[in-house]
Amino acid sequence: MSIKLKTAKTTLLAFGALSLAAASAAYAGPYDEYEGTRLVVNFPAHPHYNAVMKVLPEFTKETGIEVEVDQLQYMKMRQKQTLELTKKKGDYDLLAYVVFSKADYVYADQLENLARYFMNPRLADPAYDATDLIEGYVANISIAGGTKGYLSGPTGSMFGVPFGSETSILGYRKDIFEKHGLDVPETYDDLLELACEIPKLEPGMGGLASRAASGHHASHAFLLHLAPLGGRIFDDEWNPTLNNAAGVKAAQALKTIVDCGAEGSRAFGFAEAGASFLQGRSAMFLDSTVFAGQVNDPSKSKVVGKIGWAPHPMGVRKGSQTGGFGIAIPKNAQNKEAAFLLMQWLTSKKADKLIALEGGNPSRYSTHSDAEVNAKFPHMKVFGEALKDADPDWRPIIPVWGKINADLGTTLSKILTEDADIQSSLDGVAERAKKIMQDAGYYTWN
Amino acid sequence: MKSANLNKMTPYFFIAPAGVVLALGLLYPIAYMVYASFLDWNPSQLIGEADWVGFKNYSNLWVDEAFKESMWVTLKFAFIVVSIEIVIGLGLALLLDRNIRGISALRTIFILPMMIAPIVVGLMWRYMYHPSVGIFNRTLKDLGFESIPWLSDSTWSLVSIIIADVWQWTPFIFILCLAALQSLPRSTLEAARIDGANAWQQALYIKIPLMMPVLIVTLLLRLIDAFKVLEVILVMTNGGPGLSTEIMALRISRTASEFRELGAAAAMSNYLLMMLLLLTISMFLYNKFVEQRRQKMLALAEGG
Repeated sequence: MSIKLKTAKTTLLAFGALSLAAASAAYAGPYDEYEGTRLVVNFPAHPHYNAVMKVLPEFTKETGIEVEVDQLQYMKMRQKQTLELTKKKGDYDLLAYVVFSKADYVYADQLENLARYFMNPRLADPAYDATDLIEGYVANISIAGGTKGYLSGPTGSMFGVPFGSETSILGYRKDIFEKHGLDVPETYDDLLELACEIPKLEPGMGGLASRAASGHHASHAFLLHLAPLGGRIFDDEWNPTLNNAAGVKAAQALKTIVDCGAEGSRAFGFAEAGASFLQGRSAMFLDSTVFAGQVNDPSKSKVVGKIGWAPHPMGVRKGSQTGGFGIAIPKNAQNKEAAFLLMQWLTSKKADKLIALEGGNPSRYSTHSDAEVNAKFPHMKVFGEALKDADPDWRPIIPVWGKINADLGTTLSKILTEDADIQSSLDGVAERAKKIMQDAGYYTWN
Repeated sequence: MKSANLNKMTPYFFIAPAGVVLALGLLYPIAYMVYASFLDWNPSQLIGEADWVGFKNYSNLWVDEAFKESMWVTLKFAFIVVSIEIVIGLGLALLLDRNIRGISALRTIFILPMMIAPIVVGLMWRYMYHPSVGIFNRTLKDLGFESIPWLSDSTWSLVSIIIADVWQWTPFIFILCLAALQSLPRSTLEAARIDGANAWQQALYIKIPLMMPVLIVTLLLRLIDAFKVLEVILVMTNGGPGLSTEIMALRISRTASEFRELGAAAAMSNYLLMMLLLLTISMFLYNKFVEQRRQKMLALAEGG
């Protein structure tokens, strides 16, 4: 279902125009040519983009460029975009893509390389400061063609800008931890021990709320543990390594967490795991930062004011996930230059802060350490620290990943619910992954 | 001579528009799907850019464990739900085929489940099966029993989706059986009664055999539906845990959208189509065979 939200046509009042012209002479120039242009953009229905919707009128007021937003459920976006991108003339001037779409869209040559725009002195804002964008996010979401084909590196180039990106973070019940004199876990050993100790201390309460449902959810939870425990899905030659010692350890960690979790945790998706934490049935939560916006909302949460945040615990290394969305300009867009101006504005320091203050997920280091943002959302500071260890390579972004991911997710579900043997199950996934990679041509050079 | 020919042709002229619509609306998409099943086609490509791979999609599926498992789940699911539904639906119809006060209101209530949108049915059952706040586990706990892992255990989750499907679709069989029962020739039943047949004998030897044609069509419709059911399971378990509830329709949808293999998804759809076609044809053949035997018996009886 698509919710069409049309931003109201903003008529510039004489007063507004005057004050703008006086306040920012720099803005008088770059946008003039595009005044009155109407951009159509595709955003997901997602907490970050809901915050963006509140800030967008500001852009129209400042630039005279109008924006029509087509907001879709985020799992539906990819199908719609795939159709749109194969058309000769697309309807969208700017679109938000889920990170794993990057590989497909770029490989099918459907996104604009942003070099041409950042080179254009009439379009590129010298004050943009791209080094302030969170490095892990840029490597994970923006760049294609670098190391392994999906990371940054000498051969990579930029096709999008992180916008609505997320990392993983540990939420915990301050009151429960205080009551029993527990320390916030910093390592995986502590985390796993605590996860199983809490149900003993607080009967009826689960240790850590984690996703575990068959498919994408179970796989996601496994990957969250795999990177910090030192594992990877593939080695540098694309041989599956998810069944090595680190992989087994990650699966064991997931199983321990689920076994010591709240009732029904074997079938938890992201929403159920979150709800279990918000309803006070689990003492910890380790997943995306996007969740943080809800914990102090009394209409959704029974644990208002009781939640503390800490970085993702480390195993043999620190590594939190990277993911979420980026925004890009389709090759078949009608108003590419105006779309770039919108993209640049939305991801600028100023808009990043405005969106963060409305409850969005900032993509810049400066926003995470901004005093005003920290005053309103004290957890932002912890998030900023955690982001320094964000791992852009925690999951491979290659076109065949969807299939391997699904297989991994169902196999893990069997491990969690049917007590299937971990080593032999993961060996099976590795073997099938190898076949998929072979068919896709990854071993051509070996 | 010429006008006679024209006369013969006239019906075809009248059928022609319908034929064209049929060809465009029905055969074209099927032909398109069959064509796509021979391609290595990902949704970012136009169909013209996809590579021709011959029967590879079909042969790959034969060695694809996940596909075989989902085929097995589908068969299990379809045969179990349809058998249970037929037994309950027919039983209810036989019980309620009488003049009870308020029967029409009762009938409306009975068919309510099949009028609810599948997504809503899925959500409703998912909440009822919820491990801690769902009504089933709360009731079990209040009565002092252990709670049941409805959707988080691979055996129970299949049972759970079967229960939900039976709840939703038994009314369909019930309503068709009731209609069939009410259109049975009263004279035959009366004759049976006069001959002293009790209620069981009437149902077993008179009503059910006479209802056979309707029952077979109903069975077929339900089987076809059960092979294609998607939304309720999608919402309730999304195929999990493991692959324990991943029926073919779900596998096809995931192959197309998650794995982005339109060719393989088309090949799976074709397997499903062939299976259903086989089922339909065999049902019709059986029906025809029964009909012929009846005619022969009648002829014999008349001859004698």
